[in-house]
Amino acid sequence: MASIFRTPAARMLAMAGPRSLMKQVATPVFRPAMIARMNVAPRVGVAAFHTTKKMLIFPAGPQVIEGDVNTPAPVPDANPVHGSYHWSFERIVSAALIPLTIAPFAAGTLHPITDAVLAATVVIHSHIGFQACIIDYFPKRTMAGLHRFMRWFLNGCTALVLLGLYEFETNDVGITEAIKRIWKA
Amino acid sequence: MVLDALIRIKNEMDSTLTFRRSCREGICGSCAMNIDGINTLACLCRITDESRGATKIYPLPHTYVVKDLVPDLTQFYKQYRSIKPYLQRKDPPTGKEVPQSIADRKKLDGLYECILCACCSTSCPSYWWNSAEYLGPAVLMQSYRWLADSRDQFKEERKQQLENEMSLYRCHTIMNCARTCPKGLNPGLAIAQIKKEMAFNG
Repeated sequence: MASIFRTPAARMLAMAGPRSLMKQVATPVFRPAMIARMNVAPRVGVAAFHTTKKMLIFPAGPQVIEGDVNTPAPVPDANPVHGSYHWSFERIVSAALIPLTIAPFAAGTLHPITDAVLAATVVIHSHIGFQACIIDYFPKRTMAGLHRFMRWFLNGCTALVLLGLYEFETNDVGITEAIKRIWKA
Repeated sequence: MVLDALIRIKNEMDSTLTFRRSCREGICGSCAMNIDGINTLACLCRITDESRGATKIYPLPHTYVVKDLVPDLTQFYKQYRSIKPYLQRKDPPTGKEVPQSIADRKKLDGLYECILCACCSTSCPSYWWNSAEYLGPAVLMQSYRWLADSRDQFKEERKQQLENEMSLYRCHTIMNCARTCPKGLNPGLAIAQIKKEMAFNG
């Protein structure tokens, strides 16, 4: 707001025409024609105070308030599977990935079983991550159908990836060996 | 401060300009708004040097705006009400005060100073998307303020309220809350403490 303390000219412009300012609140106030009419030397490109109209790319949805202003917001039913257990499981999987990722560097390559565990853990980790994205961006309360579809789509993708990795681990070289070969290719 | 400029604009230039203000010293939280891209209190925000160009002021982001710089905080206050922000005890009242050790009192420092200006909640992307269900940093920090209070005896009930997908666990530790807080508090840390407590004895 430094601009309101600018030149006397800018302030005169503002104070001379409060009515026209008020009428223009929805659009940028600065207009060369207005300045010419008031015989004030125009200051380049700056109106002392101006407001802008709302610019919405997507209009916001309607505001939904459950109950009146004096009732508390509703509390969902408690279910630790979706709460603290889920959070702990998420952290354990993430933490487990650290040694599993470092192991092949230390050992050169991995035993097929450890390799399979790494593959499965990566998939579970990504599944939980994508699930969080779906909960955030396709919320059940506003788009229940799409939410359900995305959840099942993710489940399908995860199952497909797990199947593919199972095939790859059993009939081929396994992921660490594959990455190693691509790295050196 | 920016608030002085706003008051001057309202007095001298455009009397229709609408904003909330009360204490003009950063303790009431009324004048929370987005100034040059940062949610802060207009009364604590200095007017920038003239060479930096015009200052842009918006209402708190992703709120339903009543008029100009006045956001609708109904949902925010309803959520605050839902965490029961008061001392709850199971022991029958004795008519005396409930004592607390100095160490226990210290746990509340950094929590009780919150003025509920909603700067942090409205800076949180998770709260932008899911404010209908996610409680947001300000309310969760107050929830922890009562979880951390040695005198409160309804901790289990308080934790049970947060045991779901939306209320607490939509926090993804983005930490905009701690960055924007005009009082210098750290709601992100308080939320992490709740998560930790719930993971280890939930």
